[in-house]
Amino acid sequence: MENFDYPLSPRIQELKEKRKRINKDMRLDFERNRIITEYYKTHMHEYPILKRAGYLYTWLTTREINIDDDDIFLGDGGPHCRTVHFDIEQTPSAWIEGCFGDTDERFRAAWQVPGSVWVSDEDRAWILEAAEFWKDNDIAATAMGLFPEDFVAKRRTMGRGMSGTFPGHFCPGYERAVMVSFGECRKIAQEKLDAIRKNTTAENVRSELFYRAYIKVCDGMILMSKRYAEGCRKKAEETADPVRKAELLQRADSCDWIVEHPARTLWEGIQALFFYQYLLIADGVHWADSPGLIDRFLGPLAEKEIAEGTLTREQAQELFDAFVLHIGDQIIMFPKPTNDRLIEAHKNGKCFFDLQGGAQNIAAGSLITIGGQTPDGTAGTYNIATEMILLGYYRLRVAEPSLALRINQYTPDRIWAIAIACSIRSGGIPQFNNDNKIIEAMLKRGVPIEDARQYAVFGCVEPAISGKEWSMAANCGAFGAGAGPTSILQYVIHGNYDPMWKREGELPCKKLYEYESFEELKAEFERQAKHYIDTMSRMYHFAAFTFNTAWPVLSASMMTEGCLESGKDVTWGGATYNGMGSMINAVATIGDSLTVIKKLCFDDKIVSTKELYEALRDNWEGEGQELLRQRILNALPHYGNDDDYADEQVVWWTNMWVDYYNSRNGVNGGTNNCGALDLNWVGGGKFQWATPDGRKSGDPLSISSDPRQDCIKNGPLSYVKSVAKMPWTKLRCGGAINSRFDMNSVQGDDAWWKVRDLISAYFRLGGIQYHFTVADSAAMRDAQVHPEDHQDLIVRIAGYSAYFTHMSTADQNDYINRFEHQV
Amino acid sequence: MEYKNATGRIYDIQGYAVHDGPGIRTTVFTKGCPLSCLWCHSPESQGFGFELGWLPLKCLGMDLCVEACRKACTRGAISRGEPTKRMGTEEMVEKAELDRTKCDGCLKCTEVCFTKALYSAGWDTTVDEVYDRLMKDVPFFENGGGVTVSGGEAMSQFEFTLNLLKRLKDSGIHICLDTTGFAPAEKFLEILPYVDLFLYDVKHMDSRRHKALTGVPNELILDNARLLAKNGAKIQVRYPVIPKLNDSRENMEATADFCVSLGEALTLVQLLPYHKSGRSKYDRLGRPYRLTNVEPPPESFMEKALELFTARGLPAQIH
Repeated sequence: MENFDYPLSPRIQELKEKRKRINKDMRLDFERNRIITEYYKTHMHEYPILKRAGYLYTWLTTREINIDDDDIFLGDGGPHCRTVHFDIEQTPSAWIEGCFGDTDERFRAAWQVPGSVWVSDEDRAWILEAAEFWKDNDIAATAMGLFPEDFVAKRRTMGRGMSGTFPGHFCPGYERAVMVSFGECRKIAQEKLDAIRKNTTAENVRSELFYRAYIKVCDGMILMSKRYAEGCRKKAEETADPVRKAELLQRADSCDWIVEHPARTLWEGIQALFFYQYLLIADGVHWADSPGLIDRFLGPLAEKEIAEGTLTREQAQELFDAFVLHIGDQIIMFPKPTNDRLIEAHKNGKCFFDLQGGAQNIAAGSLITIGGQTPDGTAGTYNIATEMILLGYYRLRVAEPSLALRINQYTPDRIWAIAIACSIRSGGIPQFNNDNKIIEAMLKRGVPIEDARQYAVFGCVEPAISGKEWSMAANCGAFGAGAGPTSILQYVIHGNYDPMWKREGELPCKKLYEYESFEELKAEFERQAKHYIDTMSRMYHFAAFTFNTAWPVLSASMMTEGCLESGKDVTWGGATYNGMGSMINAVATIGDSLTVIKKLCFDDKIVSTKELYEALRDNWEGEGQELLRQRILNALPHYGNDDDYADEQVVWWTNMWVDYYNSRNGVNGGTNNCGALDLNWVGGGKFQWATPDGRKSGDPLSISSDPRQDCIKNGPLSYVKSVAKMPWTKLRCGGAINSRFDMNSVQGDDAWWKVRDLISAYFRLGGIQYHFTVADSAAMRDAQVHPEDHQDLIVRIAGYSAYFTHMSTADQNDYINRFEHQV
Repeated sequence: MEYKNATGRIYDIQGYAVHDGPGIRTTVFTKGCPLSCLWCHSPESQGFGFELGWLPLKCLGMDLCVEACRKACTRGAISRGEPTKRMGTEEMVEKAELDRTKCDGCLKCTEVCFTKALYSAGWDTTVDEVYDRLMKDVPFFENGGGVTVSGGEAMSQFEFTLNLLKRLKDSGIHICLDTTGFAPAEKFLEILPYVDLFLYDVKHMDSRRHKALTGVPNELILDNARLLAKNGAKIQVRYPVIPKLNDSRENMEATADFCVSLGEALTLVQLLPYHKSGRSKYDRLGRPYRLTNVEPPPESFMEKALELFTARGLPAQIH
């Protein structure tokens, strides 16, 4: 197999090194928060979308312009390249008070020691004061002002709820921003505005406001680009180096052109892409957003320049490498840690970055999609950008942002080869996506075929129509994953009672030993599940309406197809397509629990439902109950072994849930889209009592749609076949299989192609997404002892990849153990 | 095609057996082998009878085996041991202790052990049962993959192997037969129509050395290979490179020459560097590992060995 390790240019090597050095020099972004607070305080009664535009315009025209000497692309979302973005209007004021209102000593230990995200005393005083204002004016306040009372009470059970995060999780039209430009879109908006003004009605007043806001931000964007042009000229004057001077002057010319006009060169294309991303960050929605199918427009730009002789292949690769590095620099604060956790982390030599890396992909959960097929389906869309972006990830060994590769009958062997090499080196980079099945899933949603073929993946695994869809999965989707299915199982077993939380549910029902048949128990699970889904769907509408009322997402609306055309922002239903994602999780925990009840108590009658009930009630700690638990774990059929008896229950409950969720009314006239994903099976499991699959109270749940790793006994083929039985074309919000190979099975040229054959077979069987990690336990153990030698070790977690050394020790152990069980 | 639902004794079926022929394959391992190679990495494959396997790592200290053992006879081969940590936990358990000198191999303990810490190496099955299991993996065979029947020596259970192959061939499955070549010539001719590719071990070209290393001489093996080649078989030669034992230049050249002599029939020569991964399996069966003094060959050595084969125009790879 060809060696793809083409050398990094000296400049890229330096940038990579610099990125390592500054990893531990991060600061919370107060610039953006000061601007928005000031603006919102002084414009309390401005109409929401105009207020948003006014704030964004102020930010674009007054923010600090940073041009680093060594960087290939200009600027950052914040004042410098390791700014940690947090959005004060979305941040619970209780968190701010908890962290910054803490004692001086504890505040310093958390935020002012080497390795911490730095917050100065001045910023601390400011944020506490600002929190006073936002307490009654943030998103959560809006939500609480319109949510039905029963929802407010349910916030805890329904998930994170409206604690206030902006939606994120969408795939706006980066291509439109780069290749059409804000300047051109502004002209259209002006025409639309002029037309409305000649015929104002009660209905189109709101559209007029939308277009006014639109135009204002276009002006701000063009100004920001020109401010960067000015900055480059100033730098050029100060520079003695003639090469650098020429480069800066060329960039100044480019910045005078882009944003107002379509990009002409590869550098301009990527820079315009970043400028749009900075706007999304300032708007507080750069949260698992996706630039979509970027190779489609970056590839032709590069090819044109290479053909014209203005760019060499090496220079193009350098630009793509710089792009991959720079796009990973936009860090969003998630989760919001307590001072306790921070102090503890610092003690162990870890920083906020590590906390973040262990829990979540730090680059804002961004995901780039490459490859695919033309709208008419007659050819693949693999080009120079597809290959060079893949090569960038492979050679730079970066874990973020995530990368999704679309696979179809046109995928060239070379792309397959680089992708497999990259995955072997960096677990889960890229994620393989099955075009045929995902397009089929999109068609089932009612998306026309030409658009269905233009899906991109955002967030972790969620497909949406690139540049055309408002897919509000994040905020509302948080209600879905987590407690839902497992809590329902608890109610069904304990008679509408949750022993962990010691509280009752809403629908009184029997206890495990009172059901007369397995069918009766299943019917009760279904009744409880549907009640939960109804409540959840209703809550989504109120969540969406919260944004519609007072928090329009202007930055996304500007470039998402349908909004400019219809005069409506995305939260008002302006996008061509609308989707509301929600994730199921603990697929195996639920499925195996049902199998155990069926097999043990009803089919084979090995123990009575009463005995099983008591074992669960006692958390397997009573006389003889450990023996029963071991029998369940070791001698009963489990999902993941291509055993229809065990897989039947997984197939039943997931279909039941998915069909019902997808059939509920979607937000903004769009569709509800169920998926299968969990990022917090360890944390989620801590709050779940024992389950019939042999799980003890507090133990982790099974991961997403994966079988329990320790119950996979027939090897990878049976595992893959079991998972393929899930209703993937209905799980249109995505869901991936997380496979692990040992090093031995991927060594040698032909072994690579066997990995491809396995992925292809999974796709033929109906699976939609595949990631794999080549886990070398010895290397991982060594990385625990000598993290400095393994900075580049990347493993796939569930929906994202993470640097192994950034994970907490507990998560590291969990990862190693699960893998070793599988062997 | 007519076939008989013969009985066979196997010890494993493995999916995604990426080292047993082209594409993705599922391999059936039959039990029992007329050879006993010093480096054998599957000691459980050698005997034709059942054997008690013991993997203390998996023992949870449930005591069921102690009881079963006591009920079966009075010798008391299994007893309760000292408290030790259970795998992956801090929990102390009293794992079972097996004294093989007192064990008569009744295998009663394996019937009660949930975790298969005590297990029977090998079980009896039928052509139909194995066929049904294998056919589950058909979706993975598309790109040149299929089923490999390996051992032990599958030819030693000829009736089972032949009928299984007949059934698989009937379903259009690509079949590899992994063999030592040590079986009567007429049986090879009988099975030939059902085999797409022979994975054929050549262990030493000198018959006396061959006998010392594997327990049998090599004439029959080499003759069978020639016979198969003459009758249209496709053969992939597998040459395990064991330092000190069969890696002399002289033997390598003789092996390469032999490969050349197979002519068109030869599709590939795989050089398999010796590895130690089978060592722990000997412990599980309570048997000594005999190659304590041999280390895997260095990569540079393997590269040179490969050159020796490719210089003769042979398609060869290190595997």
